[in-house]
Amino acid sequence: MRLKDKVAVITGGAQGIGRAIALGMAREGAKIVVADLQGEKANSVANEIKALGHGALAVEVNVASESSVKHLAKTTFDCFGRIDILVNDAGIYLKSSVVDMTEADWDRTHDINLGGNFLCCRAFVPAMRAQKSGRIISMASGIGYYGMKQFSHYAASKAAIIGFVKALARELGPDGITVNAICPGSANTAMPRGHRTEEEVMQRLHSTPLPHVLEPEDIAGPILFLASDAASYITGQAYNVNCGTYMV
Amino acid sequence: MSQVALISGGGGGIGGAAAHKMAAAGMTVVIADFDHAAAETVRGEIASAGGKADALSVDVTQTREVKALVIDVASRYGRIDVLANIAGGSMYTKRMEEFTWAEWKQVIDANLKGTFLMCREVAPIMQKQKSGRILNTASNYGVTGSALRTPYSAAKAGIIAFTKSLALELAPDGILVNTVAPGPTDTPRVLEKESAEARNRRWSSIPLGRTGKPEDLAEMYYFLTTPESAAITGQTFHVNGGVVMP
Repeated sequence: MRLKDKVAVITGGAQGIGRAIALGMAREGAKIVVADLQGEKANSVANEIKALGHGALAVEVNVASESSVKHLAKTTFDCFGRIDILVNDAGIYLKSSVVDMTEADWDRTHDINLGGNFLCCRAFVPAMRAQKSGRIISMASGIGYYGMKQFSHYAASKAAIIGFVKALARELGPDGITVNAICPGSANTAMPRGHRTEEEVMQRLHSTPLPHVLEPEDIAGPILFLASDAASYITGQAYNVNCGTYMV
Repeated sequence: MSQVALISGGGGGIGGAAAHKMAAAGMTVVIADFDHAAAETVRGEIASAGGKADALSVDVTQTREVKALVIDVASRYGRIDVLANIAGGSMYTKRMEEFTWAEWKQVIDANLKGTFLMCREVAPIMQKQKSGRILNTASNYGVTGSALRTPYSAAKAGIIAFTKSLALELAPDGILVNTVAPGPTDTPRVLEKESAEARNRRWSSIPLGRTGKPEDLAEMYYFLTTPESAAITGQTFHVNGGVVMP
């Protein structure tokens, strides 16, 4: 078990990729805090983990709210006493052309996708610094590199996460904390189905160079690797997991 | 039957560490190296630890030797699941205008052409299997460049683009092709020229505060052979303590 007795907080852990990460880390021996805006769904993932015989806690959180993130950190420390791994997976994916975009949608995207990274890191980094170890893994996106029409706010927020990760990696390297990003391609989750027909989603999933449908578990695997001791010399990187769709 | 991994440059340094890691994970490892004695040493270490390994000689710049190597491996095991192209090196540190044509070609061939020749011989075997993992080796210098290492930097940048192209060619057959890009790594060959202390001083800007160990790189090569990396192809994985963040 690669993550035995580690404590991992996974924002956006109630569904899709976040849920796969939570279950994957639990199977590797970590205690999991499933942090999500959808409290009930977070509860059911935490129960799923407990049923497998592992420690888990569900916390309802809005990662764009300072007080809510403070509550997440306090609950985590009260329950498990420490944090070893922070996975910033919470995010939203709104659709709008630039000219039709409301300021509210722009702000919401950046507050949650980018601001959530900042607030969660700020809340958990002091404890990692004190113990001179920690792993932070943030979810960026291939769209942060290649852009996508009608998703300019999302693309900008994901590219910004990559810049944030690199800067934070430089800040925290001397304390033995690594900070990396994973950039998934289009995955077989609920998120892309919010804006596309089932046919469009399947067409995208099957049009990758590699004849392999990108599943949440495919994203979770590299994240488990980055969280493990095997990746102790890796920081400031943004690794693409996309069946060959885009090669940086 | 265990997976078969062919590792060029497996006789020491990063290649040796990768051989040890893959053998410890249960793979049958074929250590191919220009230096047969070095390959034999790693083979012996793996065998005494209970692993399975062969040691074979190869000069990866020579078509005939590469062909003979791959035929030999295929006839012994009937398959090749992993090809790790780790042979190579910078060889010279001097100004571009001081490089002879022969020296230039030597560096390009040992790194870039050797990778091509090995892939050309192994890919058809993987295509028949409809599976395989090819792991090439670049360098942070392939992205940043390095004064006094023009052919090496060019070759390593070439390997990154070669990897992407080959990944697209082999994807329909379910074969994954990726590159590992080491940063400053304390291999025996490097430490012969510079002490670990001097290197740590020179590389004091590394965010994680130390130079790399061959074992750090071996973990990445191994990860890229596992089911956890099944959706990753055409990518470059920098393992460098944060000294380069492309």
